[in-house]
Amino acid sequence: MTASRLGVVVAVVVVVAVLAALPLFSSDVIIQFGINALLLAVLAQGWNIIGGYTGYASFGNSVFYGLGSYGVAIAMVQWNLPFGVGMIFGAALAVAFAFLLGVPVLRLKGHYFAIATLGLAQVMSAIVSNIGIAGQNIGLVLPPLNNDHLFYELSLGLLVIATLTVFWLTRSRFGFGLIAIRENEEGASVMGVNTTLYKVLAFALSGVFTALAGGIHAYWITFLDPESAFDISLNVKMIIMAVFGGPGTVLGPVLGAFVLSAVSEILSSKVTNLAGLFFGVVVVAAVVLMPRGVADVMRQFRRTGWRYFAENLRAHRI
Amino acid sequence: MSAILEVKNVTRRFAGLVAVSDISFTLGKNEILGVIGPNGAGKTTLVSLISGTLRPTSGEIFFEGSRITHLAAYRRARLGIGRTFQIMRPFPGLSVLDNVAVGALFGHGSGESDLAKAREKARAQLDVVGLGKFASQRAEELGGPNRKRLELAKALAMQPKVLLCDEVMAGLNLVEIDEVIEVLRKIRASGISILVIEHVIKAIKKLSDRLLVLHHGNKIADGPPDAVLSNSEVIEAYLGSRRA
Repeated sequence: MTASRLGVVVAVVVVVAVLAALPLFSSDVIIQFGINALLLAVLAQGWNIIGGYTGYASFGNSVFYGLGSYGVAIAMVQWNLPFGVGMIFGAALAVAFAFLLGVPVLRLKGHYFAIATLGLAQVMSAIVSNIGIAGQNIGLVLPPLNNDHLFYELSLGLLVIATLTVFWLTRSRFGFGLIAIRENEEGASVMGVNTTLYKVLAFALSGVFTALAGGIHAYWITFLDPESAFDISLNVKMIIMAVFGGPGTVLGPVLGAFVLSAVSEILSSKVTNLAGLFFGVVVVAAVVLMPRGVADVMRQFRRTGWRYFAENLRAHRI
Repeated sequence: MSAILEVKNVTRRFAGLVAVSDISFTLGKNEILGVIGPNGAGKTTLVSLISGTLRPTSGEIFFEGSRITHLAAYRRARLGIGRTFQIMRPFPGLSVLDNVAVGALFGHGSGESDLAKAREKARAQLDVVGLGKFASQRAEELGGPNRKRLELAKALAMQPKVLLCDEVMAGLNLVEIDEVIEVLRKIRASGISILVIEHVIKAIKKLSDRLLVLHHGNKIADGPPDAVLSNSEVIEAYLGSRRA
């Protein structure tokens, strides 16, 4: 392990420790903001597996989120099962969905894949609205648990596991297969990568983390309906956060989620009406000035300095 | 010489176009078979049919006696069929070393599961093709001739039994061509059978044990290089008939 690598590991451990201790000395508002930011980071990290590492820009991840939410809600409300069982049920639904729809949909590439997955959330929302056990279009109300500390620590734990999983990807045969698919799918297949299986597994893995985040969120909010559970704008958010931070990197999506959550929170409390507009400006500026995300800026900045942004600007021919 | 690869009456149509028409041939164990033909003769299609990125419209392909006609590309790779691409297909964002490591991680016999060991094997292959000093560069930073070498190293890292080379010498200068010929000879000496597609007649004549000529998707000659290159039908395909 090189010195700089060791530095990153130590820094990450310290940050996690500080985050874990945060609820002990902060207000309810901060904790609630924290839960949201942590769950969004899990979503960005989950999307990173299929979008960042495998190169398939999925707009179907909000389906996983919805399935996870409904998994917990149905298990707890309809079957009186404990929360943990609901989480497993939700994750199982996500895996089943990834295999069932992943096989046909992952045959499509690029924009075609994105558009095909774009429709999935809409379809699921319509289906769930007609299922009795899921409360149809009225939704379900979960038993309230007034313990934000617990939800906070659960979210943090899930984020740590998701990030460790992505870290494992970067040094495993499986992860190399995914990267090879992203870089050149035909090239990967003639070198012995079972591309269909790997893509579906990546979709499922991405789905598990997304579903678990959905499950925690549902129990925390205690209410869900089809429209909010299968919300496509959440999918857009996770993509923006992952891409802002640096897709295909271990820490980029987490960083992106934290930074953008904070920016969006500050904007909406200070300038309210124009928050959405400012958020858009931030995203456009990020795409133009640092198309490979914050992670790449941090890696290159020491070498190139401010020229980094100028060069990206020039590359866009603006 | 017993055959390691056998192509039997293989035809491939793209809508109205017959790219490969009823072609049969064998590749012997430890043989270097050259495949030549004018542009559009069906050479690359043939390689794609063998490596599995395309399926034949009709006909059969056998590898070590078992039928692989409809096997997925990755399964053929695991059986021991490696290929290079004429239009290079590197993993652009990965380092040169990791490009080759992918071959070692997957490849023949489903490869090496340990990343560090795969990288070690990859480094050895880079030295074989003379790319050792570029190991840590990103693949997209390599120039043309080195990309050709990278294609070769990637295929070799799979430890294939059969190597299909699709124009690995195109665009190289004479010195570079001689280097590649040397590398291919070394590869053959290590026990790998090779099918080479090439435009550079001089080079392929020097290298091949046997030559196969394609023209408009048909096989028009198959035999020792000297005999094939003096065949009147072959000369006609390349130069046109002398007098109409």
